[in-house]
Amino acid sequence: MVRFKNIIVGALVVVIGIGVTIYFFPSEEKKIKKQFRLLAEWVSKDPGENTFTMAYKVRNIGTLFDGTCEFKIPVYSFSGSYTPEEISGYAARGRLFCSQLYLKFYDLVIVFPEKGVAKVTLTAKLTGKSNVGEYIDETHELEFVLKKIEKRWPFSKLEVVEVLKK
Amino acid sequence: MAVNKKVRQFFFPSFTPQFLIRVSVIALFAYLFFGHIFTPLLIQGHSMEPTYRDGGVNFCWKWRYLFSKPKRHEVVGVRFAGSKVMLLKRVIALEGERVEFRHGKLFVDEKEMDEPYVRYPCSWNLPPRQVEKDCVYVVGDNRNMPIENHVFGQASMKRIVGVPLW
Repeated sequence: MVRFKNIIVGALVVVIGIGVTIYFFPSEEKKIKKQFRLLAEWVSKDPGENTFTMAYKVRNIGTLFDGTCEFKIPVYSFSGSYTPEEISGYAARGRLFCSQLYLKFYDLVIVFPEKGVAKVTLTAKLTGKSNVGEYIDETHELEFVLKKIEKRWPFSKLEVVEVLKK
Repeated sequence: MAVNKKVRQFFFPSFTPQFLIRVSVIALFAYLFFGHIFTPLLIQGHSMEPTYRDGGVNFCWKWRYLFSKPKRHEVVGVRFAGSKVMLLKRVIALEGERVEFRHGKLFVDEKEMDEPYVRYPCSWNLPPRQVEKDCVYVVGDNRNMPIENHVFGQASMKRIVGVPLW
């Protein structure tokens, strides 16, 4: 009986140990997924968002990006390299046009082509409503490149995959 | 009484090993059939009207091009983002062909094509372009909109996922 009890306690300790290790030492994939979760959270806007929340989110969006991040979004004629401050500025302006905005990421495929570099392909879905009442419903396949800098994985390149070439 | 028992047995079966095996086989078959052979799809948008209307339900036959390639005038599903979002378009030109629109008329290799599925008036003009290797040129049936607003163009064969069942 005592032996059985010891086995149960031992198993519990092992399970808790694994859980703690996973929680406090997340894998690189988990860290990358967190970047996308934060980006989606900070780009999204609930109706009636107050000024403090808006300022907090807009300021934080920039922190997710590298010193200069390259954008290639032909569908919106938006291409070039931008600093985190510029990205925050664009995000703030974009969010001002919308009364509500929701960004969600699906189908994340993460590969590591070389050490310290991650390439992520995913589906991004942007929904919401503009200030004039128009519905926003956009879906695109995106390719991100993230470079590891001091345990962080900031975005260094974002490209919208061109499925149909006119 | 016997009928009553049979009905009860049908709706509330006993969890015998045979029953669990039957349920597992049906679940596996449904997963393979609806996930990899005939995927259900909900049509959103107006680009394929009047052939396919917004809100329509269909199935994508994914094995259609297992041993063949898409032919001209066939409607195909083009993987747009992730594994769940696809575009429904019609193949109008194959690899190596030159495609062009003149006052709404489709020309392939300088030859005017008959398109009975295009019912709405069209005035598109598109300079000639050659379809690259391993690609097809796809367009929607509804061309009663400015050419800039219609999503069409050259798609890689790798992105063709199948055809609508009807």
